[in-house]
Amino acid sequence: MADKAVRKPRRKAAADVPRVDAQPAFILHQYAYRETSRLLDVFSRDLGRVMIVARGVQRPGSQLRGSLLAFQPLLLAWFGAGEVKTLHAAEWQGGLPQLTGLPLLCGFYLNELLMKLLPREDAYPALFGAYFAAIRQLGCSANERAAVEPVLRSFELTLLRALGYAPTLDRQAGGAPLQPGQRYSYDAGFGLVPARDGLPQFEVAVLQAISASCFDDDRVLGQAKLLMRLAFAPLLGDAPLHTRQLLIDLQTL
Amino acid sequence: MTVPSSLQQLIQALKVLPGVGPKSASRMAYHLLQRDQAGAANLAHAIEYAMATLSHCRHCNTFTEAEVCDICADDERSRRQLCVVEMPTDLLMIEQTLAYQGLYFVLMGRLSPLDGIGTKDIAFERLLERASDGEVEEVILATNFTVEGEATAHYLAETLRARGLKVSRIARGLPVGGELEHVDPSTLAQALVERRGL
Ligand SMILES: [Zn+2]
Repeated sequence: MADKAVRKPRRKAAADVPRVDAQPAFILHQYAYRETSRLLDVFSRDLGRVMIVARGVQRPGSQLRGSLLAFQPLLLAWFGAGEVKTLHAAEWQGGLPQLTGLPLLCGFYLNELLMKLLPREDAYPALFGAYFAAIRQLGCSANERAAVEPVLRSFELTLLRALGYAPTLDRQAGGAPLQPGQRYSYDAGFGLVPARDGLPQFEVAVLQAISASCFDDDRVLGQAKLLMRLAFAPLLGDAPLHTRQLLIDLQTL
Repeated sequence: MTVPSSLQQLIQALKVLPGVGPKSASRMAYHLLQRDQAGAANLAHAIEYAMATLSHCRHCNTFTEAEVCDICADDERSRRQLCVVEMPTDLLMIEQTLAYQGLYFVLMGRLSPLDGIGTKDIAFERLLERASDGEVEEVILATNFTVEGEATAHYLAETLRARGLKVSRIARGLPVGGELEHVDPSTLAQALVERRGL
């Protein structure tokens, strides 16, 4: 029997390329990319935040384009080992109305937080669940502050916990228990300290409500907003949140 | 072989066009220089001429050679309705429908908070001024149905309503002649959400 011809160097088999199938995901943001493609900043359930290029979706008549919607649950399939993966398929899952009005601006705010704070390719399945729930709640929220603020505060707290920066709310910075009826201030990176002049002050009952994610009271909501801002400040640095500015602009109309 | 710097400069310059990357830019540059020098000279001249003669209409902000564009200068059109679009191309699309007799305002962009594009980056202040001329009764928001276009519409609606103006949003749903079987599911879902009474 004749020898087989010299073997060609083995091409990297398709099986070697990491593939992800039917992964629950949301698109946080998308950018025009090269000539006819889009670059997607994706938050997926099991692989966290990934950058995925959707090739050819800028061409007229692209089938995929209509599925690549922000604030809509998707099932995405992609492949690739590098920093930027390649989209293979996208399936729109449905079940959530498209966000509009104030809830839509709030959705942008959640996305901006995730884009600024969530490292790439680290899985946060519980946070993904909280995001899904928050988008669902925003989708059925009325177009008013009272309806959306509990959703925002609850997601902020979940995000801080997931990242390991949640404020300790059940004892003072040194470990001493909170005294009922007292007020406390929050020193970011340190913890709760006895109330200081010139700093926001928080009631113990309110701190307990925040800790339990019970945001159904105006007093709790007001103080929670201040506390969250203090807790996020060291993480966000000096860069302003554009979505927060938009929301503030609308509030002062 | 190195690319001469003037050619390199042309390729760089062509890359400002949307959707044109290095490959297309270099293909265009070689085409212009090798195959169509007259076309290239014409293009250079047309760009220069447009830059020198075009400005923004004082009323609607679209491109015009006069101080006021033809549409804004047309006495037949209703001054009571003002349709807000993102880009001049959107204005042209609506004009082609012959379905609208009012006036326009072109934002020259949209709000995109995740890209850091805010009210100062579009003609927002000019729109407020334009819509408050005392003649406009209804502002029709015809920004795109992208998340950015929707956010822009919301922001404008809140601001304009606070000034006592009536604000409406163009409708979305199935395409005319569209069959449910062939429409994409997200459009169909939204058409159900935004259904209207008969
Ligand atoms: Zn005009």
